[in-house]
Amino acid sequence: MSAELTPMRWPDRWKNASALTLLNDSPINCLVADPAIPESVVAEAKQKGLTIVDPAANPPGVFITKGQWPGVQALQDKVGAGPTGNPWVDSNGWSVRLESVRHPGDRVWVDARPKGLVSADSYALALADAAAYGGRWIISLDDRFAANVMVGKRDAVASWKKITTAAKFFEDRKAWAAYAPEAVVGIISDFAGDNEYMGGELLNLVARTNQQYRILLKNKLSPSSFARLKGVIYADATAPAPAVKNSIMAFVREGGLLITHPKWGLAPGLRAGTQDNERYWWRTSGKGRIAFAKSEFDDPWVIAQESALLISHRYDLLRFWNGGSVGSYFTMAPDRKRALVHILFYAGFGPEESGVRVAGNYRSAKLWTLDGKSSSIDMIPQKDAVELHLPAVAQYAAAELELQ
Amino acid sequence: MPSNCTRREWLQSASVLGGACLAGAAFTPAFAALAPASPVSVAKCLTYDPKELLPVMARMFDQLGGVGKLVKGKTVAIKFNLTGSPQARLGNLPLSETHFTHPAVIAAAVNLMAKAGAARIRLLESPWATTEPIEEFLLQANLEPRDILGAAPNVEFENTNYLGKAKRYSRLTIPTGGYIYPGFDLNHSYAECDVFISIAKMKEHVTAGYTGAMKNCFGMAPVTIYGSDAGVDEPALTPRGGRDPFHYGRRQPSKSAPQEKNRNSPRAETYRVPRIVVDLVSARPIHLSIVEGIKSMTGGEGPWVSGGAPCKPGVIVAGWNPVCTDAVAMALMNFDPMGGRGSPPFEDCDSTLKLAEDVGIGTRDLKRIELAGTPIHDAVFDYAKIRAARRASLWQRIFGGKD
Repeated sequence: MSAELTPMRWPDRWKNASALTLLNDSPINCLVADPAIPESVVAEAKQKGLTIVDPAANPPGVFITKGQWPGVQALQDKVGAGPTGNPWVDSNGWSVRLESVRHPGDRVWVDARPKGLVSADSYALALADAAAYGGRWIISLDDRFAANVMVGKRDAVASWKKITTAAKFFEDRKAWAAYAPEAVVGIISDFAGDNEYMGGELLNLVARTNQQYRILLKNKLSPSSFARLKGVIYADATAPAPAVKNSIMAFVREGGLLITHPKWGLAPGLRAGTQDNERYWWRTSGKGRIAFAKSEFDDPWVIAQESALLISHRYDLLRFWNGGSVGSYFTMAPDRKRALVHILFYAGFGPEESGVRVAGNYRSAKLWTLDGKSSSIDMIPQKDAVELHLPAVAQYAAAELELQ
Repeated sequence: MPSNCTRREWLQSASVLGGACLAGAAFTPAFAALAPASPVSVAKCLTYDPKELLPVMARMFDQLGGVGKLVKGKTVAIKFNLTGSPQARLGNLPLSETHFTHPAVIAAAVNLMAKAGAARIRLLESPWATTEPIEEFLLQANLEPRDILGAAPNVEFENTNYLGKAKRYSRLTIPTGGYIYPGFDLNHSYAECDVFISIAKMKEHVTAGYTGAMKNCFGMAPVTIYGSDAGVDEPALTPRGGRDPFHYGRRQPSKSAPQEKNRNSPRAETYRVPRIVVDLVSARPIHLSIVEGIKSMTGGEGPWVSGGAPCKPGVIVAGWNPVCTDAVAMALMNFDPMGGRGSPPFEDCDSTLKLAEDVGIGTRDLKRIELAGTPIHDAVFDYAKIRAARRASLWQRIFGGKD
């Protein structure tokens, strides 16, 4: 059932069942019913075939996760900058991905409500920030916007139309949710208990570097878990169980890189001849290497930054230029004939002349935008990669590439 | 080849001028007349294809008298220019074709130095706010470090924006006393070399008017000491932020380093930056200067500058003396290297070239500079005309009148 649902939280300001007409021609087919929702609305909605769900419980086939309002924090709060001075970005993408891995078969819904008044454009970003990663945002409007839509204010109605168009865009492309993430680095954890904060923040902050990652639940590792990865991070607060350790070290012996810290236990492998890193001891095992931190991991931002260098930008799957506060998610169709790069502009708009290098060899590329339109896109071949020159787009675009 | 000299020789010659300056005498044209002159080679070069570039640069070095006597058996340090973020570019153009020193030019220089007998070549730059290896910085810019590392044996990079591989910073003092600082604490690589080379991009600069061989050295200063987030007493461990204190003087370097001579001097960046560049070049003399203008940009030093546009001057300049080399490069941009504040491109700032000439680093007087290779008038790319048009347009938009 879940895969067909496009959920919306019924706004308090929409007192009358006649407001249900605002959902006509939209993919919204599910109302998340707060206790205050008028009976008349519920009755009319049921009559129209809408599903009513209780927000206190996960509907069948759905896992609801609490989220943040996505975007550049500096623009929302006029505060907050990352350690580099770059604007801090809030995104729910990592949470959608984590819960999708933890709850296979369920559709992850993000419950992120606007904090006070938000820009009308940020709704499309909230929607894309969940849907790009295979989730669904519970469409939630701030009071003033909902009221303006209700009374038919032109700008508000136009913005509402954009939200429903964006929702339709993802509903029309449900197959994209089955695409698998392409990754350079695997992040191994149980993401629970003492490891919940570090594991979650690593996912969040590795994503901010636009490194493409794979979530590896440590009790579900198999040889295929490591396919095509260059490195893995083990940052848990306890040593891995012997079976987990064996799986990881098998990956290392085949040429992979393990990034870990003293909580792993006795440093694996042999001390490498060359030691050129102030914060890590280099060790070797088989064809691979271990970057063993000299002190316990405590700052996920630092680990995220360091991992990109330890693995090397040589293996970047995506490289952006002029992207501003850009987020990305690189996926591949199950038959590996088609790749998809989701691109999110967290400042709410894309720059005039941004570009992205996509690793791999492709024969064609087109760009999808939330209005459902596709356009051809300049694709410049490079060695084992292509560079895409992006037009200025708002909030979100998806580059769909056909492999050679 | 007057300025093809060791640091010690340069210090001795500079002491004539420096002694006078330290004694309180004002810099005058008389001192400028004493500034050394040395040959500069100019060549047209339209592409970065090694088939064109390598012979062109080899010929330029020959025209200067050969680099063998300079580098044979020596450790050579090359400062090149990777200004800004590796993710920021002008339009969709490669960074190396607008504001970074192009790797092909670095590789050609490295190759020719090695053939001339250089024992070891170290490639130095201080990339924006990071301790990451230069190789990783280049990769993020979509540039291939192996193209440079593979140009010769014994080539290595070092990020000089922090302590790097040394245990302590190296102090380099200024024999003439310095305009703003009496000396600098720099990454060891700038002291532990026999030969120092600056390979710059030919560009305008928003603050300093022009940037070439000398201005390239602004990036020698580690932000762990000279940056906005530098340590107060001791250098910070990691570089964060930019060199705002150099621009505006709102704070002093870490106390462990030489402090400003006069904290009541003007705080305007258009006063400070040209002087600090000269101070840096005085502390760390340049033996060979190369200004690369095969492809570049107009309007400023990087893509963050409003109104910047790509251009193809198709020219390279090389010389022993950085002031002479920069003077010729400016002439190739159709700017008057003898111009001072008020004259393009120094409408709003002091001329780094004049300040350098005043302390005896070299002459900017084209009449005193022996030119080899392509005559200037055959290789001019008219930055000045583009600049004038851009400024007139800007003036018109803002004030509706003339600049």
